[in-house]
Amino acid sequence: MSTPETPAPTSSSPGFMEKNYFLLRRLHSLTGIVPIGVFLIAHLTTNSSLLWGKWGLRSEGADETIISGGVHYFWKEVQWINNQIPHLLLIEIVLWVSIAFHSILGVYYARTGKANTARYAYQSNWRYSLQRITGYIAIFYIFYHVATLRWGWEFLIPGDAKWSADYAASTLAAALRGSNTDFTAMGVVTSLFYFVGITASVYHFANGLWTAAITWGLTVSAPAQRRWGYVCAMVGVGLMGMAWMSLAGALITPPNEMREVEQRLLDKQKVKLPPQPGTIESRAEESLPMTTVSNQGVSSGQ
Amino acid sequence: MISTFTNTDANSPLAAELAQRMANRKMAKEGRTIIFRIKRCDGPGKPSRWEDFKVPVPKNANVISCLQYIAANPVTAQGQQSTPVVWDSGCLEEVCGACTMVINGKVRQSCSCLIDDYAPGEGDVMTLEPMSKFPVIRDLWVDRERVFHNLKRVKAWVPIDGTYYLGGGPKESPQKQETRYKLSECMSCGCCLEACPQFNLEENKNEWDSAFIGAHAISQARLFNEHETGKQLKDDRLDVLMGPGGVNDCGNAQNCVKVCPKHIPLTESIAAIGRAVTVRAFTRFFKD
Ligand code: SF4
Ligand code: SF4
Ligand code: FES
Repeated sequence: MSTPETPAPTSSSPGFMEKNYFLLRRLHSLTGIVPIGVFLIAHLTTNSSLLWGKWGLRSEGADETIISGGVHYFWKEVQWINNQIPHLLLIEIVLWVSIAFHSILGVYYARTGKANTARYAYQSNWRYSLQRITGYIAIFYIFYHVATLRWGWEFLIPGDAKWSADYAASTLAAALRGSNTDFTAMGVVTSLFYFVGITASVYHFANGLWTAAITWGLTVSAPAQRRWGYVCAMVGVGLMGMAWMSLAGALITPPNEMREVEQRLLDKQKVKLPPQPGTIESRAEESLPMTTVSNQGVSSGQ
Repeated sequence: MISTFTNTDANSPLAAELAQRMANRKMAKEGRTIIFRIKRCDGPGKPSRWEDFKVPVPKNANVISCLQYIAANPVTAQGQQSTPVVWDSGCLEEVCGACTMVINGKVRQSCSCLIDDYAPGEGDVMTLEPMSKFPVIRDLWVDRERVFHNLKRVKAWVPIDGTYYLGGGPKESPQKQETRYKLSECMSCGCCLEACPQFNLEENKNEWDSAFIGAHAISQARLFNEHETGKQLKDDRLDVLMGPGGVNDCGNAQNCVKVCPKHIPLTESIAAIGRAVTVRAFTRFFKD
């Protein structure tokens, strides 16, 4: 039955959200892939090197064990990121703003839906619901992860470990274990939270990649959507492997053992480079020609 | 552009559902009595309650024929006198959509719903509920006005009204006809809306224009955008679909395509419109 009268048009003028509806929706979709997704891939590649780093070192890692080689390679990567990447803070801020934007809009959008997997238990419907649940988990997880390990909110870390780039692996491991030696109860909780958090984040990215292709209209036909679905599933499985490798790499070795490797590398670097080169002050103190210092700076990161 | 997508792809849960129904049909007992558990409501805003009715099932009975039996014998299974259960229907051959309701938890047309497929044994129970995304008028009868309102939002028609003869229309290619034929089978039943997690009951009509428009309207916009004369309104349609409640509100749960009784490739339409609004956004930014 349908009555002839149509609803009276609303008189209220459209707000910011309504006026920029399309732009915001698409920026939400885009930020999930660039920069957040791209960063996720790079981040997991670096972190999983805790397990595969020995081979990444090539001949240099010939007499290292898998563990020490991993810590060694990871240490080099982190040193490179922190000392060589230009405008690192700017990149980070763009990333944090993107994550905040994607999160806030994501929650706002997710609240428009009502899950109905109980009645319509189709796989795609489960993915729809999971996309929203993993989104919520990822917000909590990423906030905790960045706040504790990047912004220095140590009061949220069991055992109060303080993350530093020079001792990247050992301080990360300590933050997960809750101490420098054995797992504490809170350390186990934190580690489990990390497992859930990274798993949710990777799922959210892989499934988001699939839906983004529909949103933007790249995959139109059902077979094309299925094919792209297989690609996204493979990306997801690959990234999940890297995520779990990263966590395993951080959990299997006690922090104090990792620290020995890092200390050895730091000592070696100090010998190569007399007192803290690279800063303006040190350049002035040592009155070395700029070129020499910057060459050494480069070699320190290798 | 359109694939021969069917709801009964092998291995899908839908294929399993279908196989179950066929098996039930084979083993259905003759002369049995089954129970209808019906969610009843006396009018808008009134509370709902469940009532059971015993119905003897003749061969080839469907839900509507059983509802007719209940209307003639409105006595509950407990022997209490009740009122006839109200429902809506029209064509009785699955082309008008009026009789859509939730049967055993899933939305479908009641006229084409054979009892043998769902309740093959003596005493088996079938549940009937009104659709939950539309306001209930009474019992199983809902007000589907919003389905049609949303078609108006996207101007789902060909603009040919005028005061003089406009001459013959442009040629339609057979390929486009083929694409459009499938889309044109939509009967505005509302199944795709009932199953959609993004489409929710909205009783305030003032909210209709900003709430999610639903898969059927997105697909109909595509149908008319693909029509050589209908495409004159293409930009109007896309502008609405870019805004609040438009195609961006779809969350890709893809339930719509699974429950559509006409097997309309709704998710392809959603993606095709997604592509069209992407292009439209660029033209709007750089050209218009
Ligand atoms: S698209 Fe299918 S399910 Fe939706 S209203 Fe049309 S016929 Fe019904
Ligand atoms: S694909 Fe979109 S329109 Fe279809 S059921 Fe899912 S959210 Fe609703
Ligand atoms: S009465 Fe028309 S579809 Fe059932």
